[in-house]
Amino acid sequence: MLKIENLVTRFGSVVAIDGVSMTAQESKITTVIGANGAGKSTLLRTISGLEHAASGSITWKGESILGKRPEDIVRLGIAHVPEGHAVISELSVEENISMGSLFRRRKNKSDTAAAMDEMYLLFPRLKERRKQLAGTLSGGERQMLAISRALVSRPQLLLLDEPSLGLAPLVVEQIIDTVNTLCRTTGLSVLLVEQNANTALGVADHGVLLALGKVVADRPASELKADAQLRAAYLGY
Amino acid sequence: MNTFFAALSSGTSRGAIFALVALGLVIVWRGAGIVNFAQMGQAMFSTYIASTLINNGNSYWIAFFVALISGAALGAILDVLVMRPLSNKKQSELLSSESMRAAVPVIASLGILGVLQALAGIIWAAEERGFPAPAKQEGFTFAGNVLPFTSFDLFVVLVVSLTLLVTTLFFTRTGIGLAMRATALNQEVAKLSGIRTNLTRTISWAISGAASSLAGLLITPTSNLSPNTLDLVLIVGFTAAVVGGLDSPAGAVLGGFILGMVISFVTFYDTPEDVFLAILAVLLLVLIIRPRGILGSKDARRV
Repeated sequence: MLKIENLVTRFGSVVAIDGVSMTAQESKITTVIGANGAGKSTLLRTISGLEHAASGSITWKGESILGKRPEDIVRLGIAHVPEGHAVISELSVEENISMGSLFRRRKNKSDTAAAMDEMYLLFPRLKERRKQLAGTLSGGERQMLAISRALVSRPQLLLLDEPSLGLAPLVVEQIIDTVNTLCRTTGLSVLLVEQNANTALGVADHGVLLALGKVVADRPASELKADAQLRAAYLGY
Repeated sequence: MNTFFAALSSGTSRGAIFALVALGLVIVWRGAGIVNFAQMGQAMFSTYIASTLINNGNSYWIAFFVALISGAALGAILDVLVMRPLSNKKQSELLSSESMRAAVPVIASLGILGVLQALAGIIWAAEERGFPAPAKQEGFTFAGNVLPFTSFDLFVVLVVSLTLLVTTLFFTRTGIGLAMRATALNQEVAKLSGIRTNLTRTISWAISGAASSLAGLLITPTSNLSPNTLDLVLIVGFTAAVVGGLDSPAGAVLGGFILGMVISFVTFYDTPEDVFLAILAVLLLVLIIRPRGILGSKDARRV
């Protein structure tokens, strides 16, 4: 579905992604794990068009998406939830969600409303707070909102960056469960970036281990989870 | 008593115009995150276009609408030619810090103001000319007394109220209004949501351009038209926007009326020389008591 080959992304002279090749399979959860600074976030930001690649290729359903703008990549069915509960705090919960469907509401008016309702079913707490400003939400609720904002565009691939960051374990579990259920029931493909490797490998089908911008391992998640040597060398536990 | 009503009515019509200027500033601020000091230059330019049309025998209303459209077009052109390249992240090392990215477009807008004033001087010569009003500038009569409130004042107040209503509804009830707010608040999240942020910002500039042209058309009948006449209006309009809250359309209008009243009452009861002192006093007072402006939201960024 999503195929990345020899991707290189640079910030000035710093090479953040150094020749990465990997795929995200259809209706599966693929996780990219690795220590801080391994290039995980940059990888997602290059896919969604926020950063420009220096070389390599990214193909989505057989077509190159390299060099396309973020606002066009969303339209192709790839939605990105960036790191740090990315919502707009000055807008209400409802506005944050509907923002994600603005581009498709003219063509699919009834479905846009249906998609909003689905988000509230998925995260009922957001419905209770829909008139509140996003800035007044808790960290977990903000993450739910950021995910809803992405899902309301009805993507086929969800890029999820560190959803566990700064959240209580119980909340993390709830969010990961929801994403997992969505993937299994609706066929959504997920590319999950996590520092918390245990949680990520617990739900993922496939795992890619990054270190200093390079792929160190690319295997089924269960295998990766069982490899004590790799874990000790790259993840430190 | 008569002085009081004269001051009140003059404050109302002046306040309405300052409100319109402040509203134009708020629109660009909310839609693009920039304080646009070139705004009254744009207004002056399109008022000159209207004035030329009228001098060539066209009707006031044709000139009026052509001025609004050319104001919108000028706003859009300035955004595409100057502001868009400047806010582009890859552009240069100069823009590497967040504060520079915020400051550079504002400085550029001052540059645009200079260019527009010079251009107007070249095209239309710098001589002052009058500009007609669409309604009678004679006071209403009530019980045999001539009131200091004219039909033109009424027209100005109505137009400003309507503009406020329309912009408020536009920002809060329409998809494109939401897209504009999202673009100004967080460009990255807006883009990831599929909002075409470049286009959205250009639309903000166009709407603001039309609003400031409207201000130009409404103020020049009482102050004459020359390349520099509107400078003072911009200063007061900007103060009005800050007093009312830079991110609030209703605040802009409130700020405009407050300053209109202050200027008018100081002029009538004291001397016109003290007007600027009074404006500064109001600005300081508001900034000390309520730094985000009277109706500004808590999270609004500072200038």
